[in-house]
Amino acid sequence: MKTLVIGLGNPILGDDGVGWRVAEKIRQELDNPQSAICNLQSVEVDCVSLGGLSLMERLTGYERVILIDAISTGKKPLGSVTIFTLDSLPDLTAGHSASAHDTSLRTALKVGRSMNLPLPQDDQVLVVAIEAQSVYDFSQELSPAISAAVPLAVEATLELLRSNQEGE
Amino acid sequence: MQRITIDPITRLEGHGKIEIFLDDAGNVANTYFQIPELRGFERFCVGRPVEELPLLTNRICGVCPEAHHMAGAKAADAVYHVDIPRTAKMLRELLYSAFYVTDHTTHFYALAGPDFVMGPDAPVAERNILGVIHKVGLEIGGKVIQCRKYGHTVVEMIGGRKVHPCTSIPGGLTKGITEEQRKEIEEMGKWAIEFAQFSLKLFSDVVLGNKAYVDLILGDVYTHQTYYMGMVDENNHTNFYDGKVRVVGPDGKEFVKYSPKDYAEHIAEHVEPWTYLKFPYLKKVGWKGFVDGKDSGVYCATPLSRLNAADGMATPRAQEEYDKMYKTLGGKPVHQRLATHWARLIELLYAAERWVELATNPEITSPNFHTIPTEKPTEGVGIVEAPRGTLTHHYWTDERGVVTKVNLIVGTTNNYAPISMSINKAARSLIKQGTVVTEGLLNMVEMAFRAYDPCFGCATHSLPGQMPLEVTIHDADGNPIKVLKQFCE
Repeated sequence: MKTLVIGLGNPILGDDGVGWRVAEKIRQELDNPQSAICNLQSVEVDCVSLGGLSLMERLTGYERVILIDAISTGKKPLGSVTIFTLDSLPDLTAGHSASAHDTSLRTALKVGRSMNLPLPQDDQVLVVAIEAQSVYDFSQELSPAISAAVPLAVEATLELLRSNQEGE
Repeated sequence: MQRITIDPITRLEGHGKIEIFLDDAGNVANTYFQIPELRGFERFCVGRPVEELPLLTNRICGVCPEAHHMAGAKAADAVYHVDIPRTAKMLRELLYSAFYVTDHTTHFYALAGPDFVMGPDAPVAERNILGVIHKVGLEIGGKVIQCRKYGHTVVEMIGGRKVHPCTSIPGGLTKGITEEQRKEIEEMGKWAIEFAQFSLKLFSDVVLGNKAYVDLILGDVYTHQTYYMGMVDENNHTNFYDGKVRVVGPDGKEFVKYSPKDYAEHIAEHVEPWTYLKFPYLKKVGWKGFVDGKDSGVYCATPLSRLNAADGMATPRAQEEYDKMYKTLGGKPVHQRLATHWARLIELLYAAERWVELATNPEITSPNFHTIPTEKPTEGVGIVEAPRGTLTHHYWTDERGVVTKVNLIVGTTNNYAPISMSINKAARSLIKQGTVVTEGLLNMVEMAFRAYDPCFGCATHSLPGQMPLEVTIHDADGNPIKVLKQFCE
């Protein structure tokens, strides 16, 4: 399956940059001859600060997508890693502004599909979420709890990629 | 006292929110609009070489990185006292025009469109861009996607990267464009002009053709009389990239026109105890509170403000539309905030026309796109018009060009006071004693701030990148008696 791994977030906004750090490790794994996922031809990695329509446009042409991002639910311990599919997230946007300027990724994917763009189905958009809190202070450093979660999120993502490989 | 909270958050918690306080009788006692502040940017910048700032500042915000890149590059030019070559100015403005086309298109079709095409009280499931596409036609969606694609392509050609450009440096740009690229950009720009005209026609048919919408736009609920700010060229025509900042009064007469470097003489900031964000106002008028009128220093910096602050548009088709808008709405200035959506489309057409103008200028492919700075760096101000308002970057450096101090006034901040006033007035007008607070009614309150397209800084890169609305109504003792939520876990 043609798969895209995306580190999502703002690399200069503290723990919001965690998605980028995890994705960069995945990229290193792909380039590492010792790694089990080395040279997976069907996997690409990117780091972006996008949402809504722009993110949808970036997902065009892939069958499966893994989004790695910080999440602030306030209900889980900091650094908790959760995996879920996009279609299991409530679409919070029905009727209201999705972000101040855009629409939700789910709505954007529906828009793209209605234009016949080749996009992954919602259940093929997987989210690796890292519970974070310090996302309002400018910094290029992760806080200790989130930094400690990076290997967990990397392992979770690699597991998804390995299952991806076996499924082929 | 009853309390209603409209909580347009993007991270499940902690983002901007609107709070409406009711008195014992059930009328609106007061409203507060809070925007969270991203902290520590100055501390983050100090000690870095100034040429890094156009790259760093474009990460402040996922919404308009191009605007921060441009303001940052202009400020860095000013720090080095370097006048960049004409071709460099044109290339930057060309990139910026393509960005404007993309940004304004997205706002109209994804945000304003649902309110006007579907209707403010349409069922929530339909009031989004998908509803617009289904109602107006599938081909609209294709055009929106095409338009965005063209915009991204131009930004990448000139800026080196999609969305987060990186080629503007002190003295100009790191690269130019080839004749082949120029031709491609020209063709895409011509398409963008047609698309902008199509969008204005759609607005004319759907909105102006519907008396209920025209009444909504012209009604008092969404009207405020304030000062208006916008950048103008030497002919007092709107310009997004360069020029002087002009401010007109509520009567439409010029109040001041200043060079970017003098901004601090004209703009001051007011502090309120209930929010960390400051409220900029006109220093020479003074802060008189959240009130309209000539004696209040509150100013507005939006697409409508830019058109109010200018004498016209620099391109012919946009000028025709400019004349039409002011004729239809009763002359200048227009105070009705919902007309901002119309003004945004006129700016869309101007940006597309400017795109083609610049792409067909023979100098655009010149290799003279950089001047090596030779002066000793000190301090400098760069101002551009971001889609959401006048954007000011001010940098100070030591003699090596290492940053010692930074001050930014970003687009939405300019409008913090007018947005707060608009929300207050809409809430007071729409929520009265005995009113049943429906979802549609709250959307009408939201429309008051949506016209400004306010920016919550990091809104787009968060997960799930969404903005639900939570409404809690408290009784006189503060107990929640009703909770309206967009989602349930």
